Amino acid sequence: MKAKILLIVLAAIVPFCQRRIDATLGEHRATEEALYVWSGGYVKRLSPGFENVMADVYWLRTVQYFGGQRAFAKEKRYDLLEPLTQITVTLDPRFEIAYHLGAIFLAEPWPRGADKAEKGVALLKQGADATGSWRLRQLEGYFTLVFLHDARKASEILLEASKLPGAAYWLKTLAADTLTRAGDRELARRIWLSMYEQSEPGTIRANAEFNLQQLQALDDRDALQEAVIVFEKETHRRPRSLRELPRVRTGKLPVVDPAGVPYEYDETSGLVSVARKSTMWRRPLAHL
Amino acid sequence: MRESALHLAGLTKSYAYGFLHRRRRVVLRSIDLNVPRGGIFGYLGPNGSGKTTTLKIVMGLLRADSGTALVLGCPLTDPAWRARTGYLPEHPYLYDYLTAAEYLDYVGRLFSLPAAVRRERALRLLKLVGLENAQHQALRRFSKGMVQRVGIAQALMNDPELVLLDEPMSGLDPLGRRLVRDLILDLKAAGKTVIFSTHILGDAEALCDEVAVLRGGELLKSGRLGDILKIDMAYMELLVSDIDGAALDGDVRARQPVGERWRLEVAAAALGTVIGSVERAGGRVLSVLPIRQSLEEYFLQAMGSEGQHWAAHD
Amino acid sequence: MGRARLNRVLAVAANTFRESVRERVLYNLVFFAVVLTVSSLVLKELSLRQDEKIVKDVGLAAMDFFGTLIAVFIGVGLVSKEIERRSLYPLLAKPLSRDEFFVGKFLGLAFTLLVNTAVMTAGLAVTLLATGRAFDPGLLKGIIPIYLGLMLTVAIALFFSTVTSTTLAAVGTLCLCIAGRYSDILLHMKADMGAAGGLVQFLYYVLPNFRNFDLKSQVVYGDPVAWSIVGQIGGYALVYTAVVMIAGALAFRARDFV
Repeated sequence: MKAKILLIVLAAIVPFCQRRIDATLGEHRATEEALYVWSGGYVKRLSPGFENVMADVYWLRTVQYFGGQRAFAKEKRYDLLEPLTQITVTLDPRFEIAYHLGAIFLAEPWPRGADKAEKGVALLKQGADATGSWRLRQLEGYFTLVFLHDARKASEILLEASKLPGAAYWLKTLAADTLTRAGDRELARRIWLSMYEQSEPGTIRANAEFNLQQLQALDDRDALQEAVIVFEKETHRRPRSLRELPRVRTGKLPVVDPAGVPYEYDETSGLVSVARKSTMWRRPLAHL
Repeated sequence: MRESALHLAGLTKSYAYGFLHRRRRVVLRSIDLNVPRGGIFGYLGPNGSGKTTTLKIVMGLLRADSGTALVLGCPLTDPAWRARTGYLPEHPYLYDYLTAAEYLDYVGRLFSLPAAVRRERALRLLKLVGLENAQHQALRRFSKGMVQRVGIAQALMNDPELVLLDEPMSGLDPLGRRLVRDLILDLKAAGKTVIFSTHILGDAEALCDEVAVLRGGELLKSGRLGDILKIDMAYMELLVSDIDGAALDGDVRARQPVGERWRLEVAAAALGTVIGSVERAGGRVLSVLPIRQSLEEYFLQAMGSEGQHWAAHD
Repeated sequence: MGRARLNRVLAVAANTFRESVRERVLYNLVFFAVVLTVSSLVLKELSLRQDEKIVKDVGLAAMDFFGTLIAVFIGVGLVSKEIERRSLYPLLAKPLSRDEFFVGKFLGLAFTLLVNTAVMTAGLAVTLLATGRAFDPGLLKGIIPIYLGLMLTVAIALFFSTVTSTTLAAVGTLCLCIAGRYSDILLHMKADMGAAGGLVQFLYYVLPNFRNFDLKSQVVYGDPVAWSIVGQIGGYALVYTAVVMIAGALAFRARDFV
């Protein structure tokens, strides 16, 4: 009987000890994450014959990590994203989804992603080289355009992709258009639409949809801006708010962006812009 | 000249040992033996004398260095005699995960016995060794004595003409030993030859027609039991009570207290006198038994000086 | 005469099968393997539409891994335990030759592993069904080589079991199995080794090449795999297994059971 009591008491003390440890060591926990992450070659050596399963394990870890950071972390850091992804594709160089999603996670601007566009494109290149997949090469081209804004390079890559077995028939045209109409928002929209249509419902599609919405926001902003200018021309004064615009009143133009956040209008300068706090906000890019 | 059940000639076996295996220990030294058919033959010797080694060589578990062996007239390499022979090894260990019935069935299959025969025989043999109520229990649960009895059953599964038993009584309680003794006698009555090894004189005495005596790997004597070993009946063991054994006089060779009683060793010739002393002192005589010596003691005593010539080591 | 011999071998095999099946180790491992495969269903939530690939990867890896564990841990006891416990002695006294005993033990465990692999394949099929996909018969081209690899593992375990104790046999077999999975390193080392290249090459051919049995990646990615390749792998397995079995049988014949 005494032994049982002792057992219960000691068991109850354990969580208190744990909390003390957490309080003291808390800030050093970052190093714990590093333990998961050795070099890909090392992990590969340790799992002869089981590389594919280990790749799956590391991929799950990557997805968990990314999702966890996006959803829960106050200061979103995506430091481990690249090493984890690299281990995954070292273990299984044919793991297409890892290249694809890994590139998205890496290239998307902060806080949605790691904001490391070059790394994202490099990953896609690595994947395209390893698998010879036209899809990955195509994506490499897309990302080079929409994230790195290098139209010439993007066009070259898309041309290469169009020559790979199984490539979509319209890639060649797209390659040409990329060169001639670089900077055209329509081109970017075509590309995101292509990615949307080529994907199944899930993260990739959601991501493409998001980007399309951002472009939509830019379109709406431009339309509102033009309406403001027209208004000023006709009435010799700036509108006091966007609701004064006739096309807004008739419902032809929205006052909120696709995320539901109202567009900002500064009467003094007469400029319409996407709200800074909205998810639709993008860093100003001259050509878009 | 009766047909031979087992014939050994010049059988020798040694083991290499020591660093780099350079030294050799001889465990059997040129054994010559003939066991005629139809009878009970005792292979006697103290522990470590080579009895088990001999039987293992015969059964093919060990290879002799030199010498020949004929079983039922066939050379060792001829597989024909195995179907007519049964063997019980020393300290048998059977399969934990099988039941007694399953084990006997397995053994029967190795003799290519048809299923019906296997079933019938297994049941009969388990009854014979007193285990028919335990036949569907896992062998894992069997006591040492029960395992021993299953071991005997498997040795008889093929209704052999020759049965070799290595220490068949070991691990058995008095009831079990009685059972095995009766079994061996029954086998003889059925015309079979039984060879069993033992270090216990009493068993050999009760059963054997002929014996061979082994010590330190050498065959000392073989022939009829009575001709070889003289059972020492010179001393008797007396168990007495209600008396102080220490105070008793008379030709008492040894005395020791056993609880409230006393155990006395008395010369046979002086038995009557000592019993009289006990009764006069008011004590009671509980039992009188001849002191049986074990083979070991016998060897030490009767063959002491001879025995030293045949040490087990080189 | 041949009939009787076959009966004896099969009797030993049947008994070995019974022994393996009644060993708890087997149940635990198979149970765990099936549970693992089924639990990969949970990953559907986490994995962003990769559930089919992951289920197949896990299912095949479990077959390979747990199958190997069973082959090693039961295999190394097959002969050495019988020797250590002396349950062998009454058997060898019967008209059962040492070769027959040896081959019977091998067949018994081989059959156990066959049943085991079939159970795990069924588990994989059920799990795939649960994700809404049919079982892809192409996976068999990956499963059969895995089974062939297990056969070879059993033969190696049996060999070690004959020449040494249970524990050392386990160590030896595991070492060979692991080394055999690194054959690709040896193959690549050949080039950089210069004079020692001959030794490396020798080692490469001598060590059992377990990489040969690993078509898991190809069948999961749906690469076309010709049956002739599976046939060649089978040929390698057959020859190598026969070599190991003969060596083991010879060692077993020569043993004195003190």
